[in-house]
Amino acid sequence: MSAARQLSLEINGTRRDLNLDIRTTLLDALREHVDLPGTKKGCDHGQCGACTVHVDGERVLSCLTLAAQVEGRPVTTIEGLQTADGVLHAVQTAFIEHDAFQCGYCTPGQIMSAVACIREGHTGSDDQIREYMSGNLCRCGAYPHIVAAVRDASSSLKEAAL
Amino acid sequence: MTNNKQLELNRRTVMKLGAGVAAVAGAGVNLAPNAFASEPAATKAASLGSRVSRAEGPLKVAGKARYAIEQKLENMAYGVTVQATRPAGRIVNIDASVAKALPGVIDVYTFQNTLKINKPTVYSKGGGATEEFTPIQDDLVRFNGMHIALVVAETFETATEAASLLKVDYEDGDAILDINDPEAKPMLIEPMGVAWGDAKVGLDNAEVKIDVTYTTAREYNVPMEPHATIASWENGKITVWEPSQWVGGARSVVAEFLGIDIENVRVISPYVGGGFGSKIGAHPHVGLACVASRQLNRPVKVSLTRPQTFTGLGGRPATRQTLSIGASKDGTITSIVHESWNETAIDEVHVEACNNVTKIMYATPNFSSRLNVVPVNTVQPGWKRGPGENPSAYALESAIDELAYALNMDPVTLRLANWADVDPSNNMPWTTRQLREAYAAGAEAIGWWNRNPAPRSMREGRELIGYGMAAGSYPMIRTPSEAKIVFHTSGQVEVLSAATDMGTGTYTILAQTAADYLGVPVETVTVRLGDTSLPRSALAGGSQQANNLTGALVKAAENARTALVRLAASDPKSPLQSLKLPELTFEKGTIRPTRRPAGGISIAELLKAVGKDRLEIEGNTFASGATEDMKNAADRSFAQLKGATEGSVSAHSWCAQFVEVGVDEDFGTIRVKRMVAAFDSGRIFNPKLAESQWISGMVMGLGQTLLEEGYVDQRDGRTVNANFADYAIPVNADIPEIQVISVGIPDMQATALGGKGVGEIGVVGVAPAIGNAVFHATGRRIRSLPITLEKLV
Repeated sequence: MSAARQLSLEINGTRRDLNLDIRTTLLDALREHVDLPGTKKGCDHGQCGACTVHVDGERVLSCLTLAAQVEGRPVTTIEGLQTADGVLHAVQTAFIEHDAFQCGYCTPGQIMSAVACIREGHTGSDDQIREYMSGNLCRCGAYPHIVAAVRDASSSLKEAAL
Repeated sequence: MTNNKQLELNRRTVMKLGAGVAAVAGAGVNLAPNAFASEPAATKAASLGSRVSRAEGPLKVAGKARYAIEQKLENMAYGVTVQATRPAGRIVNIDASVAKALPGVIDVYTFQNTLKINKPTVYSKGGGATEEFTPIQDDLVRFNGMHIALVVAETFETATEAASLLKVDYEDGDAILDINDPEAKPMLIEPMGVAWGDAKVGLDNAEVKIDVTYTTAREYNVPMEPHATIASWENGKITVWEPSQWVGGARSVVAEFLGIDIENVRVISPYVGGGFGSKIGAHPHVGLACVASRQLNRPVKVSLTRPQTFTGLGGRPATRQTLSIGASKDGTITSIVHESWNETAIDEVHVEACNNVTKIMYATPNFSSRLNVVPVNTVQPGWKRGPGENPSAYALESAIDELAYALNMDPVTLRLANWADVDPSNNMPWTTRQLREAYAAGAEAIGWWNRNPAPRSMREGRELIGYGMAAGSYPMIRTPSEAKIVFHTSGQVEVLSAATDMGTGTYTILAQTAADYLGVPVETVTVRLGDTSLPRSALAGGSQQANNLTGALVKAAENARTALVRLAASDPKSPLQSLKLPELTFEKGTIRPTRRPAGGISIAELLKAVGKDRLEIEGNTFASGATEDMKNAADRSFAQLKGATEGSVSAHSWCAQFVEVGVDEDFGTIRVKRMVAAFDSGRIFNPKLAESQWISGMVMGLGQTLLEEGYVDQRDGRTVNANFADYAIPVNADIPEIQVISVGIPDMQATALGGKGVGEIGVVGVAPAIGNAVFHATGRRIRSLPITLEKLV
């Protein structure tokens, strides 16, 4: 067996001490070791975006990231997006409002990408949203509704910031 | 028959009249003036027909909806399968010694260290399985990518490493890898052929003939959630968490795999990350997980890797179709001759029913269709959204477009000229067929009548612009089912069914149905699904589930109203006990004196008063006198399934798809610029969710038409592009604005509440609409899917 290693991760503001096979990806650490299965495994090869999380506030594919790489760096998953008292993020409510998902399996990755996409300033037009959300596959084909949800959430977040 | 001149619509007149009305006026149809009015604005009233948001939405967006394999079980072991790298022959030896020596490896199962997996009964023989193949039972190699070993270890990482350490020796055998291989031996599936009149003579005598061949590539369902299972054997019983479109079917397959009584099997599938037909049967890896769990007496999780989802189960087989259509010069079709071939596994039969649309769409006095399968060394193909109807509509609706151009007729007009007043395959009346309304609405929305119909006549800059349209159908199948309502003293109402929700909206519309028929707020209704311990349900497949379940739930609600009133009148502790049964009314969630609207009590108050924690009421749509065996058969097999012509009427969903494409003149790149489709799915239970499903089908159809193609290495049968980078499915930037329009009306002959199928009709007709648009744009007719740029330049 490959060597195990003691890791201390900061996930959704909580410190998690883990003893992991050093080959463990951040995705598998989340799903199999800290019981946060909201982050999804769709391909395990960085091709579908279902595993998107934020590391240092930027979108990252957790299947292409070893857990050991994020030691000391804050990780936010879909479970950490809402406020402590359970209020959903504007992107989450926009996804419900626009029915921007069906099976829901790509949804956490879509939402984490969308939050980052808005933060990056890549929601200037529908075409820009389409382009910058194209790393996240949705086999249910909810794309038109995802664009509408991201557009709406982006403008409501801008309004809130004014 | 209306003659050609009358049918040819003058473009200017059409524009004056308003396109939609004129199109159908040409065929003598009267339309209600508001037939195409947009959906009414969202209403707060929580009832069937309103745009209620997805019930499980808050859980899904928060990452709190736990899918099948996200259950946390103690002492879980991880299984990884190893797949054959040859297409045929025998396995001489699998040396697992290095893998087994790896610390943390529990065992390696192969045909040489096997665990017995019994063959399951396939659906065509009365069972719930979609393939008979069970892995590691013998040394025979059937296809490249079949499971030949299961490695079980303490961690996923160790199992993955160990799986790479097996040394497999093969004895090569001869393989057939392609539907067109001259060595292949096609087999005619005679009972599925359809014929009437004399198709050959009709064709020979036709004034105008179209004689074409259309092919489709091997396609894959690839739902975002890979196929995976947790099997947990405990004290002679097994619990299986399985992403499933049909827990009842999976339960019977698991019982057969293990050779145990079905009563000892429970299958749980709380949320399903997409299926599109690929999660109906429990596939061979489920058998591996189950027998390993029994052997090891601990939970075993087996997840297919993404590449393994291309060969661990099959997608839509490649097809080839020849189609000859004969017509008179005025556009009247006189004969259709259709023959199809599809791939199937080397030792199993999957038929893609390519005549499903061909045989019902147009009136023709002469018709003949034959279906053939071609055994090749592939995983057994399966169902992918609109199986049969999808390739059928592709060939037919492309060929009709070719005929329209051969006749110099408008494609919509040609379709109207050959309108089938009854189902031409059996002369039964349609239940409802709002297809003319669909043509009109779709044509109007896309601006069909404003286009220049001449090929290669429209452009924007470097882009050649094309418009295309096609029709589609999907049969309304039905299976009796049951449902249970549980009333609680808290005021909560639970609805229970074994059915599953893979994003189709089952959770939501069942809550809406219960709210409507009990007169309670939709927020007070909780729906529990996806568990064989819940009331029996047929599969979420074939676009039948919503109608099956709403029908059963209404029966339960009716039973509940009767039972609640009876309880109020009869229980000594009931506040309404002084009144007789006829003096009580159930209304808006309360039981009240008929003559005194204000004197009622709620269901919860009644339960509290009579000292009941809960009240359970069942309802079902089984035939009166149905035995337990028949009810179980409805849940576990297709034996109780009723086809589209039950009751001597023909029930189908219908659609008209319209697209606009832009084709780069130099590079042949195709962009779909707009998609519009009008659907007749009968009564719509929740427009918000139905629209999502229709759009979903259209997006999948775009992928099928322009992107998706499984490549098989002709040297060794390997699926070369078995991943999301190389098997391209549509991304957000591929998808234009999409408009969907409902033209359906309640169809009370089709189903109990008047709905028809929604889930599959969206994909039917997309491919021919795009192909026809590409022809209109470029003047080039591409007769094979996907339509990629190298075929165009």
